[in-house]
Amino acid sequence: MPRAIWSGSISFGLVNIPVKLYSAVRDREVHFHMLHEEDGQRIKQQLVCPAEDKVVSREDLVKGYEVSADRYVVVTDDELEALEPKATRMIEMLDFVKISEIDPVFFQHPYYLVPDEQSGKAYGLLLAAMRDSERIGVGKLVMRGKEYLVAIRPYDTMIVLETMHFAEEVVSASDIEEMPEQPEATERELKLAGQIIDALADSFDPERYQDDYRDAVRALIDSKVEGREYIMPPPVEEEEGKVIDLMAALEKSLARAREQKGGASRPAKKEKAAAGAGGRGRKRKAS
Amino acid sequence: MAKTVTASVGGHRVELSNLDKVLWPETGFTKAQMIDYYTRVAPAMLPHLKRRPLTLKRYPDGVEAGHFYEKECPAYHPDWVQTATMLSRNVRQKVNFCMVDGVATLVWLANLATIEFHTLLSLGTDFDRPTFVAFDLDPGEPADVLDAAWAAERLRDTLADEGLESFAKVSGSKGVHVYVPLNTATTFEETKAFAKATAQQLESLYPGRIVSNMRKDLRGGKIFVDWSQNDPHKTTVCAYSLRAKARPAVSAPVEWEELAAARKRRQPGDLVFEAWEVLQRVEDFGDIFAPVLKLKQRLPK
Repeated sequence: MPRAIWSGSISFGLVNIPVKLYSAVRDREVHFHMLHEEDGQRIKQQLVCPAEDKVVSREDLVKGYEVSADRYVVVTDDELEALEPKATRMIEMLDFVKISEIDPVFFQHPYYLVPDEQSGKAYGLLLAAMRDSERIGVGKLVMRGKEYLVAIRPYDTMIVLETMHFAEEVVSASDIEEMPEQPEATERELKLAGQIIDALADSFDPERYQDDYRDAVRALIDSKVEGREYIMPPPVEEEEGKVIDLMAALEKSLARAREQKGGASRPAKKEKAAAGAGGRGRKRKAS
Repeated sequence: MAKTVTASVGGHRVELSNLDKVLWPETGFTKAQMIDYYTRVAPAMLPHLKRRPLTLKRYPDGVEAGHFYEKECPAYHPDWVQTATMLSRNVRQKVNFCMVDGVATLVWLANLATIEFHTLLSLGTDFDRPTFVAFDLDPGEPADVLDAAWAAERLRDTLADEGLESFAKVSGSKGVHVYVPLNTATTFEETKAFAKATAQQLESLYPGRIVSNMRKDLRGGKIFVDWSQNDPHKTTVCAYSLRAKARPAVSAPVEWEELAAARKRRQPGDLVFEAWEVLQRVEDFGDIFAPVLKLKQRLPK
């Protein structure tokens, strides 16, 4: 079951439709770990300060923006946090436009919008209205402390939300210097090219195309698993019998857990209007 | 990487094993992260555990695999772990409960893959005297935690009419728990009778939405107000205990205003708190459940 990654509501006109956001595509790539060839041990990365040749812990890092060669301004997490757009939990629809007006180059990532139980009707209404008018909504959304330009459009029986690139992110054709001249084709050439296209003309059936490389990698792995070609790294001997501080004991394991889940122990900031709406700072005193 | 480290915790030596073991497969939350959570939440949680006999709910292979309840404190417990012996009315039965008196015991138990800490309603010094009345509000499908919150607020009002202040915590999944601190002389006969009468009163006020009868077939779409936990042999999940649900959610104390706000926003998710959120809340608000241990109230005669 995919998990909702955001929840909030679509707001347009006077209507508010509570929805949850699910990614509409998933990562099917085969991921590898890096091992030390000699003994199969998972290698670990360390942050090293070359000046002192010393391992630096994450807490001792700050963010620097390179202004010019070897000259940095330091920006703190607090400063950045203060700039984050306020999580309004609203997908605010600003315009409804013809879908043909948005070139696919603007689309970034598709998500399904799923209404909560009571809102099926309003959701269906918006879906039908977009279909009838042949227009799709363009609006804004704040997620993970970032503002997104989004489009919502009908897809099958659902509304799909596409995060979009802002205009300044899209590279314009004139910025590509290597673009050669395009001398005009003759009518004959054009006709010939048109015939080739016609001969291959078909309707789009996504099932017909597969990621052949990924399938080949999977098959390779499967055959190795079947042939029991495992490497089993020897256990790491660690401070056996030595008594260490609890936090030191947990630290390495916590770091490993963080690495494996990319920090998933603390999911993308989940804002709760309620948390503290009533209670913040109001420590009850027992009588 | 099965290895053991010996850590010093609160002046005691605790062996920690399999720290990398994933206990919550859906999120990858490991045993180390659980121990880390319990260590950090200890300042708020320990007062609710202290002197209180404990039932352990252990999940050696994570929340998706089997678990077992352990009333009897494991025989191999270190000698610094406090225990309390309960002599059952059935004299042949004698239970030796663990009690958590400090962070070392908490960490030792967490290392045994104790995910859930369930406590008696009484203290190990006096098994016959509950220190609070507990109500467990359990929504029957398709009712959800917001319906349970609604019922909890009605329960709070009914209790307030009796001059009793009550406190809420979320169960960590769909339920809401309401505790009425007593901390005065009482018996389980009294608290159970009071809880049952209160549940029945609520049912008669809101017959379409609240049910006080344990029978499962009556619960559909309604909130079952479980009064039966007010019993010398029953335990309730301790405030700040993790729950063995798909994600590492906590039975977290909440303010009444938060229940109302979540209902208003129609966001069941507002009433589910994961470990890291609870740590943040404790840092921000302190232990909002502290009055449950301190407030002295008497049941109406």
